[in-house]
Amino acid sequence: MTAKGFLLRDKVALVAGDSKAWSKPVAEALAGAGANVAIAAKGSPRLTEAAEAARKTGGKAMAIPTDVTNAAQVEEAVQKVIAAYGRIDILVNAGDIHFFQPFVEIKSAEWDKVMDYNFKSALNFCRAAGKHMLERKKGRIINVASGLGERGMANGSAYCVAMGGVLQLTRALALEWALQGITVNAIGTGWFMEPGRPSDETLARYIPEKRYGKPEEIGSLAVYLASDATEFTTGQVMYVDGGLMAHA
Amino acid sequence: MGTLEGKVIVITGGGTGLGRSMAFRLAEEGADIVVAARRLSPLEETAAGVRERGGKALAVSTDVTDTAQVNRLIEKALAEMGKIDVLINNAGIVRGERPKSMWEISDQDWRVGIDVNLSGAFYCSRAVSKYFADRKSGNIILVASGEGFRGQRNSFMYNTAKAGVVNLTRVMALTLAEYNIRVNCIVPGFVDTYEYQPEEYQKVMAAARTAAGARRLFVPVGHTGKPDDIGYVALFLCSDASDYVTAGIFISDGGGLAGGFATTGYAPVVSLKEGLA
Repeated sequence: MTAKGFLLRDKVALVAGDSKAWSKPVAEALAGAGANVAIAAKGSPRLTEAAEAARKTGGKAMAIPTDVTNAAQVEEAVQKVIAAYGRIDILVNAGDIHFFQPFVEIKSAEWDKVMDYNFKSALNFCRAAGKHMLERKKGRIINVASGLGERGMANGSAYCVAMGGVLQLTRALALEWALQGITVNAIGTGWFMEPGRPSDETLARYIPEKRYGKPEEIGSLAVYLASDATEFTTGQVMYVDGGLMAHA
Repeated sequence: MGTLEGKVIVITGGGTGLGRSMAFRLAEEGADIVVAARRLSPLEETAAGVRERGGKALAVSTDVTDTAQVNRLIEKALAEMGKIDVLINNAGIVRGERPKSMWEISDQDWRVGIDVNLSGAFYCSRAVSKYFADRKSGNIILVASGEGFRGQRNSFMYNTAKAGVVNLTRVMALTLAEYNIRVNCIVPGFVDTYEYQPEEYQKVMAAARTAAGARRLFVPVGHTGKPDDIGYVALFLCSDASDYVTAGIFISDGGGLAGGFATTGYAPVVSLKEGLA
């Protein structure tokens, strides 16, 4: 159940980016709080499924197949949402692909792909939706990133750099748009369960709450940050990680 | 029905300012509230406001720097309300330090500043920790300040204590996680609690009421926060919506801590041609 102050009744949310983990639970949570939701990601059964899940909660939902790494297609996707729903109040950048390899073995093309999906996708959508939000002098941008944007991990170079970029984009845009009614915040994720992938028990024991997160546990923070209750909160990273980031 | 229906929440420093607005916001969502502070009459006003919003309320005069009084507060809350679900350590003195040269600060000044802003949070959390551990469920919230992350001229005790509050959050979160106790920290920036402030600090707050004034005080969004902005942060952290959130540092400061590399509002423009020249 969503607290009264966090309801998103009649707001328009765009959930953008390719991710096995986040698109569906985030879209479902925003729709569950009352928002009309559009999801822009690579055309796939996963995208259709996410839109259907959001629709089931009662609101309107649309899927927009998009190459999120292509600025022109992203611009088009944003225009489609505005044409269909009249505006965009909330942008959630949920792009997140995993890639962990020894640094010297990473090919340039692989490096570019990780940057494209984890960082450039967010950049493209912030620019396209940001222009629209600047005109309206109102908006909420929420970037789903990772604790690895702040911490290092062996074999994580490409992922860490891309997510670090998302966190710095969050802070820089928060300041740039501070007087324009647009807040920009990030959700820092920890270790989460993935469909078809068993959790690593050693890692689970390392997490203070002794378990992996469930993807839907990201949704409630997205709703909170998307709500009118957070107008004084900007440029921040909030972690949903079972206490991981407090670890030595 | 509210999302906090049936929850009992203890708020220290609950007579005024942020404590009072948190009490009202949480009561709106169905919580019953115990407020504690030294002075009883503001506490009674908060309690009356909670009752108007449909919640049960209890006011307990408490000095959070006195362990015996703190323990009595927890006992009394349990006796009268039957349980405690959340403790919010909000008591503190905003600045509360008269400008003094460093060499004039007495041991007593130092102790009071650290006690009220840091030790009190530890005493209260300690007092409720055994109870939370035994029932294998609990939620502790601390209130720090943006000042706990940065320096401020002459603000020795306040800034040091608030930095301590941030790390006390992390240590408690790691230690108590095995008992299913979550511990998180709210970090308010410049929030307008004018009517509760001593006269000298009211001047600072009044100056922040214009956009230019707010920017001078490092608030990029150009306006100060409302006490209810912080009430809503507390609501999120008290509710089940934050079940996997512990050791979280929830900063709501109008963008202040995201910046700090240049004066607020500074926005240089340099072309690539100039940059490469």
